[in-house]
Amino acid sequence: MSDLSTRLPVGQVQEATDVAVVKARHAENVIVGEEIVRHRLLSRVIHWCVAVSFIGCLFTGLAIWTPVFGWMAYLFGGLAVCRWLHAWLGIFFFASSVAMFLHWLGQMRMDKGDWAWIGPRLFLYMKAETDDSQVGKYNGGQKIFFFTSALSALALFLTGVVLWFPLSFDQTLREISWVLHDVTFILFTASIIGHIYLGTASEPGTFGAMTRGVVSKKWARFHHPRWYREVTGEEKRRF
Amino acid sequence: MPSQHLEIRRSSASLRGGDTGIRQLRTVSKYIDTTTCIGCKACEVACQEWNDLKTQSTHQTGTYQTMPELAADYWNLIRFDEREYEGGVTWLMRKDQCMHCADPGCLAACPAPGAIVQYSNGIVDVNPDQCIGCGLCATGCPFDVPKFHEATGKMAKCTLCVDRVEVSLEPACIKACPTGCLQFGTKEDMRALGEHRVEQLKQNGFANAALYDPPGVRGTGVITVLAHGDHPEWYGLPRDPHVPWTVRFSKSFLRPLGFIAIFGTIAGVFGHFMRHGPKKPPDDTPATKPPPAARG
Repeated sequence: MSDLSTRLPVGQVQEATDVAVVKARHAENVIVGEEIVRHRLLSRVIHWCVAVSFIGCLFTGLAIWTPVFGWMAYLFGGLAVCRWLHAWLGIFFFASSVAMFLHWLGQMRMDKGDWAWIGPRLFLYMKAETDDSQVGKYNGGQKIFFFTSALSALALFLTGVVLWFPLSFDQTLREISWVLHDVTFILFTASIIGHIYLGTASEPGTFGAMTRGVVSKKWARFHHPRWYREVTGEEKRRF
Repeated sequence: MPSQHLEIRRSSASLRGGDTGIRQLRTVSKYIDTTTCIGCKACEVACQEWNDLKTQSTHQTGTYQTMPELAADYWNLIRFDEREYEGGVTWLMRKDQCMHCADPGCLAACPAPGAIVQYSNGIVDVNPDQCIGCGLCATGCPFDVPKFHEATGKMAKCTLCVDRVEVSLEPACIKACPTGCLQFGTKEDMRALGEHRVEQLKQNGFANAALYDPPGVRGTGVITVLAHGDHPEWYGLPRDPHVPWTVRFSKSFLRPLGFIAIFGTIAGVFGHFMRHGPKKPPDDTPATKPPPAARG
């Protein structure tokens, strides 16, 4: 496929690649021209279901959390609507998080070096001082974020159900749920901010993986070298 | 229906109420003497009538109590219990309703601005216009008073007949009481009455008689004379009610911490971008990056 550029006039190359990418939308880890399909359509749809429902939950929830963000309630039609919508968006968020967990679980096996990401490795990575040569399709930070997201979704759901029907539950359970719902949302929101940053401004070329589903070969070679070698056949596939 | 005449001292999810502090209203209180209550339920009927609450069938629970619990359309309930006392049995009847705490847990817990208010005379009221029916007030209440109304999706409770009090009438329950065990007036007057009655009870052999005005919620707008003041739980009253610490913890600790965490992370990523910029592949990225030491 790499000889597409030699066969087609300049200008039609991108168009031809687009067509090829669309054709490859149900495939993953395949090379199309100068790009590699990183996330197939289903992966992207699941991701955006989680993202949209979370943003909805966040905005409706922030309005309830503090009057400082009370203005967000007007985006949805008032605080009473938020109280109702937050719960249903929460169901949507949890359902899509479960789908996401099951969809990606097989690719998220923690390797030996991945646990180090909980510690200083993350900070070294942010300073671009890590040796990423053995990083596969997902690095340790991404895997840990995957599991903490799943755990957060579970915690938010369980405590959320108690908060949704407060009068059906015991007082102590209601109080614990309130505190846990707050703690989880604060930590999760902070990590989502980091996630959005790393997926956009911090690492250009990444966002495309969740829109058209593709990254450049160059990007893959730089951020996920082992995955690149696996995709190109230089190394045995492990994903 | 919230009062149109009384100034609001405190309002939920707001820094403060809108009162000017110019008009000096005295804090009002109900006085309930459980020792002279005969359990006639006239107060229950008066409450239903004055507040236009639905007529309800009573529930036979095997006692002299009309309903098992307070409800969103049943704001006043004479609780009944019997206990063994000095070789005999004693009947305990206490009028249960909103206690109108000076430090209301419902107001502290409520996330909707202005949905729960405390007027400058101390009455705590739910404003259905603003209520979102989340039920957090019930979690904040140490007396389990606010109830969810299924049909309206709002919380409801005793208003201390604020619509009567603001025009200088006594609450409907007080008006209906035939024995005088219910009285209404300023908090000081009601306390004086209660302390006098407690002294009488002590002289009459109830050594543990006490006035229930719990300091944990900085006193209540409903003070109760108990013959067995050492056993408030016999009357269905918590021994030492407080606004749950988790409510304070969420509002006063977790919330500022959350602001710091969320805005701190936003500031952090901006700072990172300014310091390190985007992480781009070098123009000629080799398949394997050399270790950092080799990159100078």
